[in-house]
Amino acid sequence: MNVAKLSAFLLRRPGALIGLALLLVQIVAILFAPYIASFSPTDADPLSSTLPPGGEHLFGTDELGMDIFSRVVFATRVNLLISFTAVFVSLAIGVPIGVVIGFYRGFLSTVVLRIFDFLQSFPIFVLGMALVAVLGQEIWSVAIVLTLLFVPMFARLVRAEVLSQRERPFIAAARCAGANDLQIMFQHILPNAMTPVIVQISIAIGMAILLTAGLSFIGAGVRMPSPEWGLMVSNGAQQMILGVWWIALFPGIAIVLSVLCFALLADALRDLTDPRLQGDRRARTA
Amino acid sequence: MPLAATWHRLPRFVRIILTRLGMIVPQMLGVTLVTFLLVRLLPGDPARLILGNFATDDSIKALKQHLGLDQSLPVQMERYLIAVLHGDLGMSPFTSNPVLTDLAQRAPATLELIGYAMILTVIAAVSLAVISVVRPGGIVDVVARIYGLVAGAIPDFWVALLLVFFLFHILGWAPAPFGRIDAMINAPPTITGFLTIDSVIAGDRTAFWSAASRLVLPVLTIAIVNTGALMKMAQTSFRGAYQSEFVNHMRLCGVPERRIIRSALRNALPPIISQTSFITGFLLGAAVLVETIFAWGGLGQYAVQAVVNSDYAAIQGFVLVASAFVLVVYSVADILYELADPRIQV
Repeated sequence: MNVAKLSAFLLRRPGALIGLALLLVQIVAILFAPYIASFSPTDADPLSSTLPPGGEHLFGTDELGMDIFSRVVFATRVNLLISFTAVFVSLAIGVPIGVVIGFYRGFLSTVVLRIFDFLQSFPIFVLGMALVAVLGQEIWSVAIVLTLLFVPMFARLVRAEVLSQRERPFIAAARCAGANDLQIMFQHILPNAMTPVIVQISIAIGMAILLTAGLSFIGAGVRMPSPEWGLMVSNGAQQMILGVWWIALFPGIAIVLSVLCFALLADALRDLTDPRLQGDRRARTA
Repeated sequence: MPLAATWHRLPRFVRIILTRLGMIVPQMLGVTLVTFLLVRLLPGDPARLILGNFATDDSIKALKQHLGLDQSLPVQMERYLIAVLHGDLGMSPFTSNPVLTDLAQRAPATLELIGYAMILTVIAAVSLAVISVVRPGGIVDVVARIYGLVAGAIPDFWVALLLVFFLFHILGWAPAPFGRIDAMINAPPTITGFLTIDSVIAGDRTAFWSAASRLVLPVLTIAIVNTGALMKMAQTSFRGAYQSEFVNHMRLCGVPERRIIRSALRNALPPIISQTSFITGFLLGAAVLVETIFAWGGLGQYAVQAVVNSDYAAIQGFVLVASAFVLVVYSVADILYELADPRIQV
């Protein structure tokens, strides 16, 4: 697809434009955090505790006197680092597993599927807490919990695609031409099975941001004083009842916008990769 | 084959239910075994935890022997299975109650919360979906589209806090987020464990209003976060039915719109049922966050406590009950699904 076509596609979809704009904001926040933020994200200042927004502190300060705006900006790094790591590691593990269990449908594949069933039906937050208890409360434990959740998701998705691709004539043709199982799986089936995976990557990043925030909120994720959106909301939770709204409000908005960004991008990617919907706007909402 | 003949003479719904019940038993067995193995991965030595840091090695050894922790894994597993079959989930060293008692005490709180939240979610999602499909471009359609986009991005714990701030702190409409019933009001005698139902049975008006008003914020939180996904699914499914040939035919025959909508909805039901069951199953785990904020004292909070304390028996018990709950929900959904779609062969 050339540039002109792509920009025409974007102009017809305000949602995709908003998604791209939000992505740009996040990239800027990640790259230039020290220049945007006027305070250190981890320095406590007891003299300026719980200041309302305005003046020197754009979003106010929390109980420890840390600048909320600076923490929200720096947290972009932590949240997106965890989410991207988890999603791409899951992709690297889940996709090959999905291809193999879709291609060979024997007893072992069934066992793997049942294990995935169990992992996915397990209450996610309890699984998260249990694993963080095993691995210690580090940023990477959260990423590992998310990976455990996403590997079955990607594997299932790829498997479903492989199941429909493997019966198609071009696979039989490849076999007649002398391709072995490995070549068929990874050179012929996989490229044709990747479309839904690409859309799912964006959706999974959004889910990962929400889950990371949730895990930190119940104390099974990132630890103070690291800036992380869910942890910041959790810090403001007690104060909210007393009417101190700014501690929890701003990091919450950051979560919503960040997740929304990847949801909008997923929608745009879905349209972009679905040839049936090219240039047909009404069909998209149907 | 007389057996097969008898089987086919049974009413359809009896056959559906019997098939499902037969599948639950092996599934439960598998869940029990995997739960056992998974919990054994947790760190921390329970014997040392119970006795504290100053315990001697001898006393730890003795307690391990007493708890059966010195046996091999298969032996422990066998013992565990037999105990579970006798309804014995072990003792929790932290609450010093049998785990089954602990769970039974807390389950109604969580079930009451999830139950009302799901009723509200389904009603809101289906109404929004139907109206937005029947009147495309109308206000409801526009609101539903924006809401559907944003709903998946809102963290539930954040919505809960916003609701507390606006409805409790600013407007004062909702009660404080501390527990299921006002601390100054006597809870009604426990019959079902559902405070709203028990207070109605006891004829206690104050208790009923207190319990019901405490439910408002957490139920709203769960509904706001989960309605979006169900609504989108319901829209797709209902739109398919509403734009189909048979609806056109009904309209040409002059059937009133109300009846057309009803029969289109009936046809759109199966995917809505399965999506509802997924959300319900997911909620048991996700309610942990909401329970924490509203100090709900349900299963979710118990599980958090158990993990913090490395309480093997309690974690195992929770996971077992949670998986059983999910299994039951999925089975009920399967049964409803097959009842709703008469084309499925049983």
